[in-house]
Amino acid sequence: MTVLSAESVAKTFTEGRDPVHVLRGVTLTLDRGEIVTLEGPSGSGKTTLLSILGCILTASAGRVAVDGVPVDSARPELLPGIRRKSIGFVFQQFNLFPALTALENVEYALNIKGVKGAAARREAAAVLEAVGLTERKDFLPRDLSGGQKQRVAVARALAGHPPILLADEPTANLDSQVGMQILETFRNLAKRENRALLIVTHDPKVRAIADRVLTIRDGQLITDAAA
Amino acid sequence: MTDLALKTLLHDRLRFAITVAGVAFAVMLVFVQVGLFLGLMDNASVIISHVDADLWVTSKNTPNIDFPHPFSDGLVQRVRSVPGVARADNLIMSYYNVTLPNGAQESTEIYALEDHQRWNVPWRVLEGDLGDLRRGSYMFLDQSAAKRMGAFRVGDYREVNNARIEIIGRTADALSFATTPVGFMDFDLAQRIGGTLLAGQTNYMLVKLAPGADVERVRAEIQRRLPYNDVHTGPEWAAQSRKYWIVSTGLGLNAGLTVFLGCLVGLVVVAQTLYTATMDHLKEFGTVKAIGGGNRDIYLILAKQASIAAVVGFVAGVLPSFALRPAMASAGLKLIIPFPLVVLVFVGTIVLCLGASMVSFRKVAGIDPALVFRT
Repeated sequence: MTVLSAESVAKTFTEGRDPVHVLRGVTLTLDRGEIVTLEGPSGSGKTTLLSILGCILTASAGRVAVDGVPVDSARPELLPGIRRKSIGFVFQQFNLFPALTALENVEYALNIKGVKGAAARREAAAVLEAVGLTERKDFLPRDLSGGQKQRVAVARALAGHPPILLADEPTANLDSQVGMQILETFRNLAKRENRALLIVTHDPKVRAIADRVLTIRDGQLITDAAA
Repeated sequence: MTDLALKTLLHDRLRFAITVAGVAFAVMLVFVQVGLFLGLMDNASVIISHVDADLWVTSKNTPNIDFPHPFSDGLVQRVRSVPGVARADNLIMSYYNVTLPNGAQESTEIYALEDHQRWNVPWRVLEGDLGDLRRGSYMFLDQSAAKRMGAFRVGDYREVNNARIEIIGRTADALSFATTPVGFMDFDLAQRIGGTLLAGQTNYMLVKLAPGADVERVRAEIQRRLPYNDVHTGPEWAAQSRKYWIVSTGLGLNAGLTVFLGCLVGLVVVAQTLYTATMDHLKEFGTVKAIGGGNRDIYLILAKQASIAAVVGFVAGVLPSFALRPAMASAGLKLIIPFPLVVLVFVGTIVLCLGASMVSFRKVAGIDPALVFRT
């Protein structure tokens, strides 16, 4: 069942007076329980595509639907609601809140999604346990290793049970062994809960956990094949 | 609910301390300036406020209680016969030269009445019996006079306008705007040693109304009978005396300007520190947006941080302001901080800090959440 679809998506930025066509007619779908990687060189449009699929940016043309809801480019004020309900992000730089402990980082994301109080604390503790960080739940990010930080980020993305998980270069700042361990964990948790996971990466080793590989170049998808 | 606003604010303690210090400085500046101003204004009308009189009769266009002009003391008979007047007495307020033991002279404000107790002047007697004033060449001195005249005791003698006068009592809280020493003596004695200027003259008349008498009707009748005098109610006369100092000396403008500058300093410090803090945490605000937060969530974070800085800064400013009062009093300065001023400054602090955070609001509202993807 498709949870994320893009049809003929284009994105054009303006640099000075010149239009820059970053995406040109991208069409793709993502099904529940499917793990997909999006590969491509720098400047190919990977992150822009991820931003549009994650309802952070809107497309200049084309159609996007998230969990069955069409994204209306003319109403950007609706995007935060879609992100809250349907999407979990993992960032290359982890982007944890430095003043909050691991548990609080996850709990805060749940608060944003409308889960409050003891229920939020219970769920935050549960997802941290799922990524193997129970013993470090009360640590601030500065006291965690890179791998542990990324586990917290994964836990934060999983919190609230969003059907779509989007990860931007999640292993770029980690050594390859730790990176693969985290991806394995991420993959297993996504599969277990039947969530779609799209991973933007430069790292060819990430293909090992993917069901399908997309390749983008110059703003166009050039391959869409089973891993 | 995880309190991202509070935790982020406290995470950078140095910045938080600077913000709080800025607010506290502004709050303290406002309290001290306004408190001193109110203290001076209180001094300017303290006698009027304590005199148990409903109406004051002054010479025409007397601007202020400290600048009296004499008029005939016989006019008091006309006032006493006005229906609705329970009693009326002459009051001399004039400056007398007091010769000190070292030969120096000190100008002193003397309030002279036939019966001081009847008019509640002075209102705080530390030593002596006011009833004794009419029995001879005596005077009471306010203890604040010691600052200008040096130490004195009951039983000491001083030359007042070349007359030998015994100090038979001490009072407290009778102060003048210009910090001139204040004393009290019998009306006849004051007239006698006041020279030709006060012979058969008075400066003011105090009027007490009979129960149920209409103030405006009595005032109009006194005014009709004394067309070359002015008649004021106590509150009006106190307000006019205060206004004179506020306007003629530029004191009001000075106090207002200092309060404005204090608020401006506080506003700039808070705006600047909140803005730099926002800039430093821009990526975190981007993350809040990326995980589904809206501008409202970020506004609430900034507003809460500004409010916390305001409350902590207010407390850090108000406590030393109150603690300063004894030190100020020992220097002869009155720092009056009434409760409504505390409430007003508290509300003003919150409003100014929230206003200061608007600068950050504007910046954050335009954050592109896609910045979370930038390395």
